[in-house]
Formats: sequence, structure tokens, C-alpha cells
Amino acid sequence: MSNNEIISELEIVVGERYVSDQPELTYLYHYDFITAEPEGRCDIVIIPGSAEEVQEIVKIANKYKIPIVPWVTGINFGSIATPRKGGIVVDLRRLNRVLEVNEDDMYAVIEGGITWAGLQGFLEKYHPNLRAGITWSPPGTGVIPSCLCYGMFDLGMIGGSGAEFINGLEVVLGSGDLIKVGSCSLSNYWYGRQPLPDLAGLFIGWEGSTGIVTKASIKLWPKLPFREDYTGFARTVDQGFPVLLKLSKAGLGICDLLLVNFGWSQSIQELYEKNVVIDAVKDKKPDCISLITTQAYTEKQHIAQCEAIIDICNEGKMRLLSASDGVEGVKPPPVQYWNFWNFTRGGGGQWIGSYCSTRDVVKYYNISREICLKYGKPPQFYSRLMFGGHYVVARSNVNFNKNDPEDIKTTRKILQEIHEAVQKLDGVVMYKPPLWAVKYYKDKTLPSTTRLINKIKKVLDPNNIMNPGQGIGED
Amino acid sequence: MAKKKREKKVKYIRGHGISQARLSYEIHNLKRYQNLEHYKDVFYQCGKCGTCRTVYKDAYWSCVCPSGEFGKFESYYLGGKNLLVWALTSNKLNWTKKVAKIFYQCSVCMACIEQCQIPEIHSFAGEWLMAMREEAVKLGYGPMPEQQLYTKNIMEEKNPYMEKHEDRLKWLPSHIKQTPDANLAYFVGCTSSYREKTVAIATAEILNTLNIDFRILNDEGCCGSPVYMTGQVEKAKNLAEKNINYFKNAGIENIITSCAGCYRTWKDIYPNKFGFDHGIDVKHLPEFLRSKLKNGELIFDKELKMKVTYHDPCHIGRHMGIYKAPREVLEKIPGIELIEMVRNRHNAWCCGSGGGVRSSFKEFSAFAAKERIKEAKETTAEAIVSCCPFCLNQFKNNIENNEIQAFDLSELIRKTIL
Ligand code: SF4
Ligand code: SF4
Repeated sequence: MSNNEIISELEIVVGERYVSDQPELTYLYHYDFITAEPEGRCDIVIIPGSAEEVQEIVKIANKYKIPIVPWVTGINFGSIATPRKGGIVVDLRRLNRVLEVNEDDMYAVIEGGITWAGLQGFLEKYHPNLRAGITWSPPGTGVIPSCLCYGMFDLGMIGGSGAEFINGLEVVLGSGDLIKVGSCSLSNYWYGRQPLPDLAGLFIGWEGSTGIVTKASIKLWPKLPFREDYTGFARTVDQGFPVLLKLSKAGLGICDLLLVNFGWSQSIQELYEKNVVIDAVKDKKPDCISLITTQAYTEKQHIAQCEAIIDICNEGKMRLLSASDGVEGVKPPPVQYWNFWNFTRGGGGQWIGSYCSTRDVVKYYNISREICLKYGKPPQFYSRLMFGGHYVVARSNVNFNKNDPEDIKTTRKILQEIHEAVQKLDGVVMYKPPLWAVKYYKDKTLPSTTRLINKIKKVLDPNNIMNPGQGIGED
Repeated sequence: MAKKKREKKVKYIRGHGISQARLSYEIHNLKRYQNLEHYKDVFYQCGKCGTCRTVYKDAYWSCVCPSGEFGKFESYYLGGKNLLVWALTSNKLNWTKKVAKIFYQCSVCMACIEQCQIPEIHSFAGEWLMAMREEAVKLGYGPMPEQQLYTKNIMEEKNPYMEKHEDRLKWLPSHIKQTPDANLAYFVGCTSSYREKTVAIATAEILNTLNIDFRILNDEGCCGSPVYMTGQVEKAKNLAEKNINYFKNAGIENIITSCAGCYRTWKDIYPNKFGFDHGIDVKHLPEFLRSKLKNGELIFDKELKMKVTYHDPCHIGRHMGIYKAPREVLEKIPGIELIEMVRNRHNAWCCGSGGGVRSSFKEFSAFAAKERIKEAKETTAEAIVSCCPFCLNQFKNNIENNEIQAFDLSELIRKTIL
């Protein structure tokens, strides 16, 4: 069959205007334009306007057995939205509405292609007393992909990872069937996934290989009247992290607890990697910079919480600056802007981003630090304590010049070396993993677990058309 | 890749797009108005992050890019365009007519550029959006057929409206007093001369009321903006040269403009892009009127009870940084209540007429205009006021059933002083 035949069928579904195989349009969908992962191939791009249209597209893809890749913004540090085996990229950007906000149960029902900018703007305009978690990815990135891929927000301490923000889903399966998951499958309410069998797990962490999520309900949180953002400085991560760990277990209205090293802080100052301090420890710079956000309902409560935070930090020799003292610069931005990632002035960036035990963060950092230094790159590290301190995210960022093949090669080496080395710490599991990391975990998991994953994948996507080539199932 | 502090001479319109968290500026040493080669180390800095699609941080993160919102595919947004430029300049993709069309289906309104957080893109992307059009012309893929048609008329009849040059001054009523030896010229522009004549009349009457010595030059011709904006630099240069010689030979030292495009072309493009240092002082009408308000010469005699909203024309706003003057004048008119649209000043949504799109991409152009009209109506204003006859004409053509009125600032002022 030719592209033309498929396109004619797709045109009937979405209209001529929203489907194309022209290179000047498909080019933007063949690669994420950020990572050091290989480029892919996009044969056709289509922009559906409803869940029904998504269903029809999936049915056509099944008929011709051609791959189909769900896509919102297509920047993902695991290169997950890159079409590895060609086929149709389904750009969900027209599914960009907030369908409902339930202020009592505090959730928003959103469509599959809504971006953080879209959600944030809607809440600011119509529900200013509620907030969504804000990811530190750019405002143009997708809310639902972020949640499905275990992204994290500035409410990580109270809400956990993005996956834990999901209350319910509407999904077009790889077979073309449409299903609902959570309380919405039985009622008009989208308040949660309990107490039914929790089918959301069939789509979370599967990298779009089991279905296309067309709607989701995500948790919102009240904006409390009192808030303080502290920036804490300690000499080293070894010294600073235990302070954060202590804070995480003390309550104190803390909704976000974050640590970055000096290298990462240089990137957000829009410095140029070639001109920065490479080894902050050797240079005696504060290598542990933390962001602590606390909020409260009453002033009395707020003052008490802040005092306790200050005491704990003082004890641990962490120096604090506060945003409300007028140090505007220490107030974290509402979203991450791309310039964080343009540290090399070459527009390339990738990470080894992992979930791990709070016990291993410092070790993780020191391992990745040594490897970056070996290659002459400033180590960049970022860690967030999650869900009341139950687990932690640890991330080593590497920036590179995507116009320089040598730099790309070196970056790949650094990333793989870090990955291999941190795997020696038990419990380090990469999120948004690229293909090579998925393969590693497949080999490591119990064979019976892998078999179950493969079986599930087959049931949901019998023709293996959903985002193939990312290593999920028998790929 | 040279490192340097922000270059003072580089025009840098500060928007809210660039973060307050910035502590240092290390940007490429770039000049404006260069060819693609000059910017080649910047295109790939773009991460396709999508920040350029919406207002950064304020105005409810509203959409800013008419081209992207209409075209939908990634290629129509600035990020897509940057990466297409990278692909085309590094032989990853070939030039075709369709590629050129993507670059032409954009009003070069610069709203996207205002939002991007990469300093080099934030400061210079407008340059390569234009350089791509120049390249398209060189390769024979541009301009678009309708643009070729109006260019022909401009070269022959000095206007893009398919009108005769001899009819250019037909708008001019006999009661307008001109001073034959005045060194101030009112540069009327094609749109006010042929399509929005009340703007020309109002402007001339205001100048008369203020007892300003001025004249209108009989042989004034198109400033060349519609030609330059479609990548036809040599032809636009030719028009510039003719205009400059004609005005200089007539002893003109000062120009007042009605049209935002004419203003930018005379003030910025002639000297900075074409290198014609004409030495004529160019002022846009609201700037001129603001100075007259400040020195007490402009006095509003009548009240004009009206709720209005102000639309920032891209060519005086983002391109030239004029946001305050029109607002200061408007707000001084007794009875006028100015209500801002959500997207205003550097974040204003383009009316969809500029950059050659109105002639070649009619549906796209109307989409942009209707979006702005809808936003204006949401303010509850009775009228959209602008400082550009081309924006005005665009609004009038797209307003349905008198849903809202549209005026040029000059038309409102005329009502209050005559
Ligand atoms: S132009 Fe700037 S804002 Fe737009 S995608 Fe590229 S980097 Fe992001
Ligand atoms: S210049 Fe205007 S129309 Fe063109 S890409 Fe930028 S925002 Fe869109």
C-alpha cells in the first residue's frame, strides 16, 4: 500500500487540512531535537480533533499494520516520542481543552493534548484558588504525557510523581477500542482510581505503547494564603542532603523539596558551559543548593513552620535566603525555560533521570560527578524528595552541541557510563528511559514479570503498532 | 562562537519573555539584518520547546502565534521554522515551493520571538525569518503569486492596490492648507491614500488645527514595505532610493507617518537594512501628538464618551518599541475609557494583515483578524483603536454585523478638536 492510499483514508477522518506526508511538515516529528538519541522517521503526521477521530486513525493503522506514535510536544529526554519504526505520528495538539474543573473534589478533566501553558492559563483565569503541580519542563510540553511518564512537579512532596496525580483516564487502545479507567468508568465523577481494579497502570510507564490517552483527570490543590520559598546553600551535597531528608520527615507544610548542584545552578543562570566552573567542590563553591517551599493556611501556622525549617537548616549548617525577604532571584520560576537546556549554546540535552531510595542520592551524585569531570563536563545534578520523603528522584543532566557529532558521541558515552555505574546502587530505576535503558531493565526483571508485560501488551495492542521500537513488549 | 556582554547597539526590545532570573548575558556577537550564514550557530539552539507558542508567564499563557494556531503543524511555529532553517542550511532538507510557503504564511509579527527564552533567538529570530524570504526569492520560490502581482503594480503605479498613481491624491479635500516650502512632510502611505482615506483626512485636519506647517508631496510612492517584507530586497531598495531622493530634493527634513509599516520602513529599514542614512527625522503620528499634548498645543475641546481598546500594530510595537505614546494620547481624550485586551503591548496578537499574508493567505489572514476582534469584544469595548490604516482596514473587512467599531487614533482625535 502507498502513503497516498492511507492518507486518503485518513483525510476522510480528519479532513485534508490535518494530515500530511510532506517532508517540510513531517520533518519536525522525526526527532525530538534535543537528545543524543538517534533520529527516527515520520511518514505521516495527523492532527485529530476528537477521541472518535483518534479511534478511527488507530483502526486504519491496524488495518495497514503501520506504526502509530502519540505525540504532544515531542520533547522527551528518553526520546520516547521519536517514531522509531516510521509510521503515523498522532499530534494531539487539537485536543487541548479543560473539560471540567471540580472545585470540591479538586480535579481537572483535561484532553490528551493540553500543555502546561494551557492548563495553567485556564486555572489562572477561571479557578485562581486552585493550582496544578508545575513541572519544570517548558510550558509547551504536555500535561498528560508528563503524568504518564512519571514526571514530577513542584508539589512532589505532597502529591508524589505525576502518575500519582492521575485520577482517571479515557484511552483509545491499540486495538481501537475506547475505555475508561477509574471512577469515571462508572459515573460522571473523575475523583479517583479507587476502589476498582486499577487499570491506570496499563498506561502509566508504558511509553504510549498500549494506547492513546484522550482524556485524564488530574489532581489540583488549593492555593494556601501563606507561602515561603527558601533557597538553602551547603558546601557539599554530602552535607546538604541529610538536612533535606530531615525536613522531608518533619511535615512543616513543605510542598516542594529540591536539591541542585552548583553545575546545574550555573545552567539556569544562562551561563555558557565553556566559561563556567567545572569542579565546584575543588573551587570551593557551594555545591549544594536547595529549594524549600512551604505553605500554610494561617499566619501563626506559617511562622511556626518557617521557624522550624530555619532551625533544622541551621543545625545542618545550611544557609538560607528567603524569597519574601526580597531576594526575588531565589524564587523558582513557574516553569523551566528552554535556556536551562542550552548550556552549551548547542541546543542539546539529555539526562540519566532515576527514581531511587533516599539512601542512595549522595552516592548517585558522587558517581555521576566523577564521570562528568572525567570528560571535562561540569557535573549537573538535580534531586527532588517525593511524597513526604518516601522516595527520591535523582537526575544527572548532560548538555551538548547537537550540531557537533563528536560532542554527541561523548554525551552518549557519559550517559551510558553514568547509567551503568549508578545501577550498582540497588534500586536506581530510570524513568522516561531510552531504548538502550529499557533493554537493560528487561534483562534485569524476573522473566515471569517480562512475560506478563509482553502478554498485556499483546492484549492491548495485538498488531504491535503502538509506538514500536521503544523496547516495550516483544519489541 | 564569541562571547560578549549584551551589545548596546543591537536593537533589543525587552519583553517579559526573558526571565527575571537572568544573571548574566553571554550571547553571540551578532549584527542585525545579515544573511542566513551569519546566524548559522543559533538555529539549532532551538529545542522545539514550544515556549514561543504562548505568552510567557502572563496574559493567561494565551496563544501568540497566528501562523501556528492556523497552520497547526509544528513547522508553522517559530520553533518549527528555526529547525527547518537549520535543516535547509545544513542540507538535511531541500528547498521547495512548499517550504517557501511555510515561511510566507507568517506575518513576521514577532510575537513568538518575544517569548523565546534563548537570548539569541529572542533578539534575532526576526532577522532570519526575513532572510529566509530573501533566500526564497533568490531561489525562485518566492514571493507568492499575489505578492508578485502587487509588486508589479507598486513598481509601475507606486501602490499595491492595483490603483493608478494619478489617483493617489484624490482623497485630499480642498480645505486642507499646505505650506509649499514646509520642511515637514506628511507621508500618507498607500492604504490611507486609497483605502482608508478618512485617516489621511483626519491627520491633515489635525495638523491644520495645530497650525503645523506641512505639505504632502504629489509624487509620494509606496514606501516599499510590502515589497521588502516579502523578501524582495533589491526592488524595495530601489523604491527606497527613489523616495529618499525625492523627499530630500524637496527639502524635507521631517516626516510624519500614519501607517505603522511606512514608519518602520522609513525609520529602520531604509537606514539600517539598506544603508541609506537619509537623515530625515521620522515620527509616527501618536509620537508627534504626544509631544504636542505635553507642550500644551494639543487641547481636546470636546468629550468623546466611548469605551475603547487599543490594538498594538506589530510594526510600531514589537518592531519599533512604541507602546506608550498611543496610549498616553488616547487616555487624555476626555470621555475615553481605555480597556486593555488580555494580549497587549509586546504580547499583542497580530491583526493578520502584514508580511504579505493578506494578499496571499486570505483564510489565514481572516482567522487572525477574527481572533483579535473576538478578544477586543471580550473587553466590552465599543471600538478597537489602532495607529495603522492597514490594521484598521483589516478590522473593518473582518468585523461582522457591526459587532464592534474600528477607528484609527487620528479619527478619534479629529472628533474632539474640530
Ligand atoms: S524558538 Fe525558542 S521558544 Fe520556540 S521552540 Fe525554539 S527554543 Fe523554544
Ligand atoms: S512571526 Fe508571528 S506569525 Fe510568524 S511565527 Fe512568529 S508569532 Fe507566528
